[in-house]
Amino acid sequence: MNENQKSFDSDKSESEDEQKNGRVKVRSRKTDDNEGYTWEGEYQRSWDIVQEDAEGSLVGVIAGLIQSGKRKRLLRDTTPLQRGIIRHMVLVLDLSNSMEERDFHHKRFDLQIKYASEFVLEFFEQNPISQLSIIGVMDGIAHRITDLHGNPQSHIQKLKSLRDCSGNFSLQNALEMARASLSHIASHGTREVLIIFGSILSSDPGDIFKTIDALVHDSIRVRIVGLAAEVAICKEICNKTNSSTKNAYGVVISEQHFRELLLESTIPPATDSAKTTDASLVMMGFPSKVVEQLPSLCACHSIPSRGGFHCPRCKAKVCTLPIECPSCSLVLILSTHLARSYHHLFPLKNWSEIPWSANPKSTHCFACQLPFPKPPVSPFDESTSSMRYACPSCKNHFCLDCDVFAHEQLHECYGCQCSGN
Amino acid sequence: MKFYIDDLPILFPYPRIYPEQYQYMCDLKHSLDAGGIALLEMPSGTGKTISLLSLIVSYQQHYPEHRKLIYCSRTMSEIDKALAELKRLMAYRTSQLGYEEPFLGLGLTSRKNLCLHPSVRREKNGNVVDARCRSLTAGFVREQRLAGMDVPTCEFHDNLEDLEPHSLISNGVWTLDDITEYGEKTTRCPYFTVRRMLPFCNVIIYSYHYLLDPKIAERVSRELSKDCIVVFDEAHNIDNVCIESLSIDLTESSLRKASKSILSLEQKVNEVKQSDSKKLQDEYQKLVRGLQDANAANDEDQFMANPVLPEDVLKEAVPGNIRRAEHFIAFLKRFVEYLKTRMKVLHVIAETPTSFLQHVKDITFIDKKPLRFCAERLTSLVRALQISLVEDFHSLQQVVAFATLVATYERGFILILEPFETENATVPNPILRFSCLDASIAIKPVFERFRSVIITSGTLSPLDMYPKMLQFNTVMQESYGMSLARNCFLPMVVTRGSDQVAISSKFEARNDPSVVRNYGNILVEFSKITPDGLVAFFPSYLYLESIVSSWQSMGILDEVWKYKLILVETPDPHETTLALETYRAACSNGRGAVLLSVARGKVSEGVDFDHHYGRAVIMFGIPYQYTESRVLKARLEFLRDTYQIREADFLTFDAMRHAAQCLGRVLRGKDDHGIMVLADKRYGRSDKRTKLPKWIQQYITEGATNLSTDMSLALAKKFLRTMAQPFTASDQEGISWWSLDDLLIHQKKALKSAAIEQSKHEDEMDIDVVET
Repeated sequence: MNENQKSFDSDKSESEDEQKNGRVKVRSRKTDDNEGYTWEGEYQRSWDIVQEDAEGSLVGVIAGLIQSGKRKRLLRDTTPLQRGIIRHMVLVLDLSNSMEERDFHHKRFDLQIKYASEFVLEFFEQNPISQLSIIGVMDGIAHRITDLHGNPQSHIQKLKSLRDCSGNFSLQNALEMARASLSHIASHGTREVLIIFGSILSSDPGDIFKTIDALVHDSIRVRIVGLAAEVAICKEICNKTNSSTKNAYGVVISEQHFRELLLESTIPPATDSAKTTDASLVMMGFPSKVVEQLPSLCACHSIPSRGGFHCPRCKAKVCTLPIECPSCSLVLILSTHLARSYHHLFPLKNWSEIPWSANPKSTHCFACQLPFPKPPVSPFDESTSSMRYACPSCKNHFCLDCDVFAHEQLHECYGCQCSGN
Repeated sequence: MKFYIDDLPILFPYPRIYPEQYQYMCDLKHSLDAGGIALLEMPSGTGKTISLLSLIVSYQQHYPEHRKLIYCSRTMSEIDKALAELKRLMAYRTSQLGYEEPFLGLGLTSRKNLCLHPSVRREKNGNVVDARCRSLTAGFVREQRLAGMDVPTCEFHDNLEDLEPHSLISNGVWTLDDITEYGEKTTRCPYFTVRRMLPFCNVIIYSYHYLLDPKIAERVSRELSKDCIVVFDEAHNIDNVCIESLSIDLTESSLRKASKSILSLEQKVNEVKQSDSKKLQDEYQKLVRGLQDANAANDEDQFMANPVLPEDVLKEAVPGNIRRAEHFIAFLKRFVEYLKTRMKVLHVIAETPTSFLQHVKDITFIDKKPLRFCAERLTSLVRALQISLVEDFHSLQQVVAFATLVATYERGFILILEPFETENATVPNPILRFSCLDASIAIKPVFERFRSVIITSGTLSPLDMYPKMLQFNTVMQESYGMSLARNCFLPMVVTRGSDQVAISSKFEARNDPSVVRNYGNILVEFSKITPDGLVAFFPSYLYLESIVSSWQSMGILDEVWKYKLILVETPDPHETTLALETYRAACSNGRGAVLLSVARGKVSEGVDFDHHYGRAVIMFGIPYQYTESRVLKARLEFLRDTYQIREADFLTFDAMRHAAQCLGRVLRGKDDHGIMVLADKRYGRSDKRTKLPKWIQQYITEGATNLSTDMSLALAKKFLRTMAQPFTASDQEGISWWSLDDLLIHQKKALKSAAIEQSKHEDEMDIDVVET
């Protein structure tokens, strides 16, 4: 129900806004032709999506819809792969004119900032020892918004301070700048570019195909999230720079889909097994937390603080982790950070849905102890689902919510952990 | 994959097949069994060529008659594509069967494209290449050389003499590139290799003209046997090709050139008379004996063939008054002078051939009969004189062909003399048009001669128009839909602008500022939302020019310029080629471009805008012909009087087939996607819409038939997003793409339903016998 309700609400508030501002807007329309009216958009007939079930009730149908939505998000590819968990990513934002469009009920620009911030948080959550830089393209010129570093808060701060957009987008300029900041990265880290591409054109100063070749040469992977339509050059860039992964280029259908596509990039990419077969050692420091009586300046921000972490090599004090030691360039990290990235390497297997025909005996969810629905009268009625999901290794049954929680947050199976395996 | 249609095993070179391809092959097979003419419409980009080839080759190889396939296509690139497909097919057959079948597949095109002679090939004009080639390869040149004279010959052609005449080339499929390469390697002329091997090969792929134009057909395609299978691919314009092959335009300058040629001919005659009068005497004797003997010589190097259809050629001796060379020259002079005087008239004349002949007789005392023999007589004279350089005789050829045609045909033709080029011109530039009105004349011998004729194209709707126009009965007449796993194209009819003003390219409304602005708006908005390539078609160059200049002053072009490069098609082929190149480059590097082109131009007929080269096509207005044209008016009148086709019906039919051609440009396969916008109020009417091909009609939803610009934009945006979602070949399987298993299941089902149908009919037998 939630999702439907939400879209309904946002519809309503949007139209109310329009009504209030209606008059003003009509006048301002002439000067600013880029804004469309809400009523010029596609009609959203949310009542058409749900259909009554046999008993004329909506409850079951809606529950089914939500359930299938949750399931969809869960079914991921779970083959264990070698993945690069030390990532270096450049996020390219589209700050061109086309971001003024309002085809998702909000300005594309606002959505972009909102989801980019979410992306930054999620990215560092999933990849604590990675680094990110942000580039914005405006008037055909790429501007560096943040340098390559690992502090999410400062990225988000810079993101929120962005205001205007103008001119055209230029893929080549963006890629060249990204390449400049990525090309010196050591080979154990990945080099990635993620572009939010709201335009349908790219006005480039030179031959973009040369840039693509250079990207391939530097083994930089480019993923693109398009907001409007499939553009041939984007497809080509993604195909050429991603040898292993498919679907590096996605075009959004809805707001929700936009977010999903962006967040897909938080999962570390599989390493190209053909290229980097020999493992190399990376020097890292695991500092312990210190608490001081008197405040002292930290080496990273030069702000007085009472505590922090001492670099095990040079004893400089830093206030947050993970970070590269400002004085001796050692990567400082906590073991929990490494552990957090670890689940990408061995993802939790997808749990399979148990049909009624399998005749499940369980009555309660193994994890949360909530009761399962009773089997239907006729044993092979396939119209309703049994709401039981089984882990393929420990064979315990769980409810959908626990399934989602285990896969999205915990990355561990409750049953397997209990049995001591 | 290998499967059976009835008893015929078919080898299809791909592991999957589209349902409509299978259907097409079944129908094709049945029509081949039955003989006669089949009219098949199959959507563009669904593998029509390969279905055709793989079925017919299987048919050829399986049945003992080994019927030869004559595959006619429109352009060089299409011929090349078909040859490449055939080559792939034969390679597949060899790999499947385990042995190589004795098979020869050849493609023929003009000397200009195939010539290897170092200096001749550099000529740009096709006529000049032909003429120079003849001067180097003609029979008498060879004789002269054998006699020890020092005459220039073509090495490539001479080398052919070393080989047995029926094995100039080994078996296999030879694409045009292959054969020129082979020719270069062995220094043998590819053109004559193909020409001489035509009677021996299993598949011939060439242009329509080699079969339809009597001037060429008589020379090239004469020896083809009756049970050949003739296929006209991309045949939606076949009526125009028929008409053009029998029409001639004469201008003042061509008459001038013709009289110059006559003078030089006269000189030559005098020279020969003094030096070698026996030659002329021989010719005279030949002519007295009758025409057939004179023609007995090898006609490969013939100067010109008779422009009329073979059965209309009068089989008797040349009339006495033009038998002597000097008499004939005087006769020609008189005729050309007569034409020149007629050209001086300052008002439009339209008359039938009969009245023209009467007038000729009144003024110059030239009879119908000698006129009719003009072409034959000139050929024989040129041969007798052994004139080698014939290039400057082109105009004379035209005049003579005109004379022969006008004296042969009484019905279905018209003579129109237009003294001024345009309505408002004051300087006369007269053109004498002798135009054929009846398309069935030229194609009739093909229908009569060959047992099976297949006419096929992506756009033949409405199907009943062609049988009427070309006067034939079909054994099979079918239009196929398109099975799609996702709706990969979006046809929309936009009838009004965002301001609700109706839009139309109707003559009275087309220059109305609000219509111009709304059309401009459509272009601006679609260039905003369409990625990469966008193609816009206009009904005519004239309208294109006028609307572009008004858009310029309205600032619309500046607006479009922000989103896309703007390129324009012009009547000049070189400029257009350049524009197309730029367009393609801009589409591939992400800049995006708009191509403004014309519905009957080169772009609309021969250029494909697959994938990102065309994400949307906008048809501004309905591409009606220029109805004030006198030739068209005469043709309409003729169609109405003779075949009971109403003027409006024909015009709409013609406009809609061109519109469909334009729309079809952007969709070249099932993995492609594109938007089709029909921007005219009149497309909303069902009489227009029903004339579109079935596969387009099928996907015009009721909701998309009467849209305003903004509504169409919303639909288009959604469509583009949906199409951008990942789509793999596996999604199509079973629905729009059959594996062998799917096919077998389908066949079984079809058999079963046929059996049920059969039993039902048997029950009904006594009630309704006709139905079965």
